[in-house]
Amino acid sequence: MKDRLEIVASGFGGQGVVRLGQVLGEAAVKEGLRVTMLKSHGTEMRGGYVRAQVVLSPKTIDSPMCENPDFFIALSSAAYNRFKDTVPEDGVILFDPAFVEEIDEKLACAHRELPAKQLAMDNFGRPIFSNSIALGAMAKLLEGELDKEIILESLLDIIPKFHDKNREAFQVGYDYMS
Amino acid sequence: MKRFLETGNFAITEGAILAGCRFFCGYPITPATELAEAMSKRLPQEGGVYLQAEDECGAMHVCIGASLGGMKAMTATSGPGYILYADPFGWALGCEMPLVVVNSGRVGPVSGITGAPGQGEFYLTRYPTQGGNFECITLAPNSAQEAMAMVVEAFYLAERFRMPITVLGDQLITDGFEDITVPENEDEMKEMGFRTWPRGSCAGPNFYPFSDDLDIPPVQMGSGAGGLCSDWTPTEEGYDIEEVEAHHKHAYRLIYKVRNHRDLFNHLYEKKYMDDDPDLVVVSYGTPSRVVNTAVDKARSLGMKVGALRLINLWPFPDEHFSRKTKYLSVELNWDGELVREVQRAAPKDSEVHFLGTCGDLPTIPDLLETFEKLLKNQPLERKGWVLEAW
Repeated sequence: MKDRLEIVASGFGGQGVVRLGQVLGEAAVKEGLRVTMLKSHGTEMRGGYVRAQVVLSPKTIDSPMCENPDFFIALSSAAYNRFKDTVPEDGVILFDPAFVEEIDEKLACAHRELPAKQLAMDNFGRPIFSNSIALGAMAKLLEGELDKEIILESLLDIIPKFHDKNREAFQVGYDYMS
Repeated sequence: MKRFLETGNFAITEGAILAGCRFFCGYPITPATELAEAMSKRLPQEGGVYLQAEDECGAMHVCIGASLGGMKAMTATSGPGYILYADPFGWALGCEMPLVVVNSGRVGPVSGITGAPGQGEFYLTRYPTQGGNFECITLAPNSAQEAMAMVVEAFYLAERFRMPITVLGDQLITDGFEDITVPENEDEMKEMGFRTWPRGSCAGPNFYPFSDDLDIPPVQMGSGAGGLCSDWTPTEEGYDIEEVEAHHKHAYRLIYKVRNHRDLFNHLYEKKYMDDDPDLVVVSYGTPSRVVNTAVDKARSLGMKVGALRLINLWPFPDEHFSRKTKYLSVELNWDGELVREVQRAAPKDSEVHFLGTCGDLPTIPDLLETFEKLLKNQPLERKGWVLEAW
């Protein structure tokens, strides 16, 4: 585990941005790491802007801000455009083409496309599972940093219902990135 | 000990319960709504009472009632609600009732921005009500874990000083998630440095003596003590009087019980790289201090002689940290500069005092490093679209 791992997730309210960060943070706590997660949002419960900034470290975390995220999960065009330039050369932007229509080819960082919404519709007929698909994809990208099974366990701890389908969705995302 | 990933709101709730709080009355407001929610769930489990009032003014009055009835009570809000505490805050100070008041700062003025952090109530927590003739104690944690610890400490101080204590956080602390360790018994509480003070009951027949003494138990209504606990000046027997000499003695107690016992809380600060007389001292409190710490680490690695001073006890203002003539930079979550004014007052007259403000978002490390460098090189500060006044 590196000294400091930064993950930003941002999109609209209601997409599960905070839950996504919370699951990864919970998994890190289970692995004995220190964790901070800032959430910023508008007044609206759904539809407004949301950002979760997660920092994981084996040591005490001073700044909880993700100024140069190792991973940026972009779930809206507005979020993508606002934070894409903060991702360093060795960072990764994970984006859903259903929400981020155009990517910036000039960026030095890697882009990984994850059609989470489409995969959720194809496999389960409901977009609600796209969040678990994104977590599965993140579990693949975080291999060597966080254990896949612990992320899944944290997801099932936090999401109260439909455990079987969420487990399946997680695997769909993991396989897509493999 | 239990370890969770949870919000500061949750951590504060657990801290209050560990400190013996069994009564909460509030009015929900972002970013302290989840605190009320957690209290509504946890207090009944602990045999306590949760009440939602019609507004914040009513909520704090109800808390005073609970405290007068012998309970350790707490309320929590954000800036727009904290200002509505103005009337009951005066009652709690004047009648000397222990209470804990949590304020999670968001962007102001007025409703401002709900889901983003601000530090606009630095002075308001010193002057939360009208009339003067009192001192206030404010504690400002910079993390969820420390928010839990400071709420426990606030209950301890509230009981010993017989007064409301403000815990001043911000949206990032209360709404943000962090790994939190919760002690499960008294030994673990001691191990974590948590101290508690039991609620006593003034046995009467008199109200409080005209002295700065601590540890005089607060009046409990119906227990036979003489205190009327009204909003007028009390005599030593606890009766109302409008008389200058009695008021002078009452005010002396309200002011000097705090000023003469600062040793109970003036250890609440953190210094980093302050032992080698740094050329620049960066002063902050709350969440910005965490970014400052990282920036100061980087500045040191770049050879800049910068130190960091983080205040946890904000009021009474700890002047003792500012006795050295040097350059000071106050980093705050507001655009108008609040803490900086107090730094300027406390520092030697010919010290240079500067201000870096952001609001809604924390300052960035590159911005801080650039500011440190300019100040160390005696260059003027500039910011996007802003011309900074010289302080």
